[in-house]
Amino acid sequence: MREILRMNNVSVHFPVKGGLPFLKRGVIQAVSDVSLTIAHGETYGIVGESGCGKTTLANAMIGMVKPTSGEVLFAGKDLLRLPKEEFKKARQKMQMIFQDPFSSLNPRFNVYQIVSEPMFIRGEDDQEAMIARVVELLELVGLSSEDLYRYPSDFSGGQRQRLGIARAISLNPSFLVCDEPVSALDVSIHAQILNLLVMIQEQMKLTYVFISHNLADVKNICDRMAVMYLGKVMESGSSDRIFKRPLHPYTQALLAAVLDTTFDEKREQIILQGDIPSPIDPPLGCRFWQRCPQAMEGCKTIPPEHLEVEDDHVVACHLVHGFPAVELPDGYDRPVESLKK
Amino acid sequence: MEPILKLRNLKVVFPTNFGLIRAVESVDLDIGDRECVALVGESGCGKSVTSQSVMRLIESPPAVTRVDAIEFAGRDIKDYGPKQMQEIRGKEMSMIFQDAMTSLNPVMTVGNQIDEMYRRHQGDSKKAARQKTVRALELIGLPEPTARANSFPHELSGGMRQRVLLAMAFACMPKLIIADEPTTALDVTIQAQVLKTLRGMQRGCGTSLLLVTHDLSVVASIADTVYVMYSGKIVEKAPVKDLFTAPQHPYTVGLMAAVPRLTDEKRKFTQIPGAVPHPARKPSGCYFHPRCDYATAECKKEMPPLVKSGADREVRCFHPLTAGGRQ
Ligand SMILES: Nc1ncnc2c1ncn2[C@@H]1O[C@H](COP(=O)(O)OP(=O)(O)OP(=O)(O)O)[C@@H](O)[C@H]1O
Ligand SMILES: Nc1ncnc2c1ncn2[C@@H]1O[C@H](COP(=O)(O)OP(=O)(O)OP(=O)(O)O)[C@@H](O)[C@H]1O
Ligand SMILES: [Mg+2]
Ligand SMILES: [Mg+2]
Repeated sequence: MREILRMNNVSVHFPVKGGLPFLKRGVIQAVSDVSLTIAHGETYGIVGESGCGKTTLANAMIGMVKPTSGEVLFAGKDLLRLPKEEFKKARQKMQMIFQDPFSSLNPRFNVYQIVSEPMFIRGEDDQEAMIARVVELLELVGLSSEDLYRYPSDFSGGQRQRLGIARAISLNPSFLVCDEPVSALDVSIHAQILNLLVMIQEQMKLTYVFISHNLADVKNICDRMAVMYLGKVMESGSSDRIFKRPLHPYTQALLAAVLDTTFDEKREQIILQGDIPSPIDPPLGCRFWQRCPQAMEGCKTIPPEHLEVEDDHVVACHLVHGFPAVELPDGYDRPVESLKK
Repeated sequence: MEPILKLRNLKVVFPTNFGLIRAVESVDLDIGDRECVALVGESGCGKSVTSQSVMRLIESPPAVTRVDAIEFAGRDIKDYGPKQMQEIRGKEMSMIFQDAMTSLNPVMTVGNQIDEMYRRHQGDSKKAARQKTVRALELIGLPEPTARANSFPHELSGGMRQRVLLAMAFACMPKLIIADEPTTALDVTIQAQVLKTLRGMQRGCGTSLLLVTHDLSVVASIADTVYVMYSGKIVEKAPVKDLFTAPQHPYTVGLMAAVPRLTDEKRKFTQIPGAVPHPARKPSGCYFHPRCDYATAECKKEMPPLVKSGADREVRCFHPLTAGGRQ
């Protein structure tokens, strides 16, 4: 595996500013102690529910937010310690496609201005060459030179997402973050955009980070993946292996929520109890214990370690590994009473 | 079985600066007693306008509405005045919207808002109403219902707020509940909780349900009968299992194929070409023909009628996929 990006124990905390003096000041632990590696040319999926830290993690990968601790290595270099000029160069190699194609494009810019902006910022000034490049990009994403001087409001959601893609690949990046690229689009358009992304990846030999809350999309597009919950990675590694043998109860619950049209009465339904807790005061032990159908007393206080269960398949769960041989509280392996139905 | 709702020939148009938007075109809808009917389709196809027309919530102007009949529980309510509709809404027919935050009053505790329903429609005393409220909150699975009743909407999570809306909608045991994208704003695991509750309540209370959604997985898990809408028209109607196992309209077929499944082949996504037409510039003939692999000259010229295509099934297509293959 030729590695393009590596994260070592990355945490991103945001301060919560209590508006009133008596309010406790705290931190939002948006991303906690995440370690992962992404190989050249692969698609790496990040999946999890709203607020679990997917976007923040991706932003940390491309240097858009500064980790509170840990390091991010892009092509072997520590992104945070790079001199300014070199950082700028590295950043041009890393681009992002956003979830909402309606708000991510400047409505006062025409297509040419939108797509050429990154080149313009880089300091290109050959107008003719830029127009030729923009037309080339438009054709690649399924638009045409006739669209050059139209405005975002003239386009449908799917077409706007195509524009966002053209803009993101304009500087020939090698690393592209797709942050829920189809969530805001009509279902009948999803496949068009996903096929386009696959085609572009093959043509440009890109590495993708693909963020989604839909496990089926992740399964179909990603080589490797991480399942996140409340800022932490629960299960990660080869997507084939994870889907073949999902081991974390949270991964299993997400899987059960995917569209089922078999109408098979016997298909297991997993309904999680309760709500996603706040990332301000996350649980001490496993972050998932309050909603885990199989939680044990020890899960409340002992954080599970990330251990490999097979090659390129890592899980953080006491049910899988057993509790570590440390001082364990009494009754640590009893099921949590309050969670019983 | 006499349906609880019989909507006939509903037409809604919006005159706008860029032309006439025909939002709903001759829609018929039947909802049986205790039945869950799903209305599915993509953004802008007219789902919300249809369902709000049933409750007579579409303002005119701007809308111009024509309808032959809205038979509800044995009477035609199409000419009911605002006063008469007020009587029906909340009591016999109620609505759950997508965005709980905008449908709840932000400066009133959720308990007081549910109490209101009982006091207004059942003439309960303050105390009796609160007792019922707490029971309703308990029934929809809100933890600590007595304490939660004193919370303001912003103090609850999205899933809890949606549950409060369920409690309000079911408060007076209406005959029909219309739920417009009730779980769309929620996370998948929370969505599963709320859908299970909604289904359980619907069965337990013997209510009929009109569920508006763009999400086929929601449809599969809860509906009995499904109407598929495209660009203002019903294109297919079928019992849920039949629709998923043997879709007949090319649009339904495409839509099903477009939903990612765990069994799909890697990195190959079945796509429907093109995009939904602009509502003011619909194509000639069948509205789906520019995107359809099976379109013929006939499809470009004429709008196919909605015809019977099996037991409890209807399809609007000249070349539907039926058991005997494509015609
Ligand atoms: N700039 C910020 N300042 C303070 N808190 C933030 C900031 N950005 C994100 N957060 C918080 O960090 C947590 C993780 O947010 P993030 O946007 O990464 O989640 P996500 O998984 O991308 O969610 P979604 O699916 O809704 O996009 C959330 O609780 C969010 O409120
Ligand atoms: N007040 C209005 N003025 C003008 N056009 C309107 C108005 N309300 C709705 N429309 C149009 O009517 C059509 C149907 O809208 P409707 O809200 O029913 O769609 P929908 O199927 O519910 O879509 P969504 O999934 O986005 O909620 C759309 O083209 C919409 O633009
Ligand atoms: Mg995000
Ligand atoms: Mg709607």
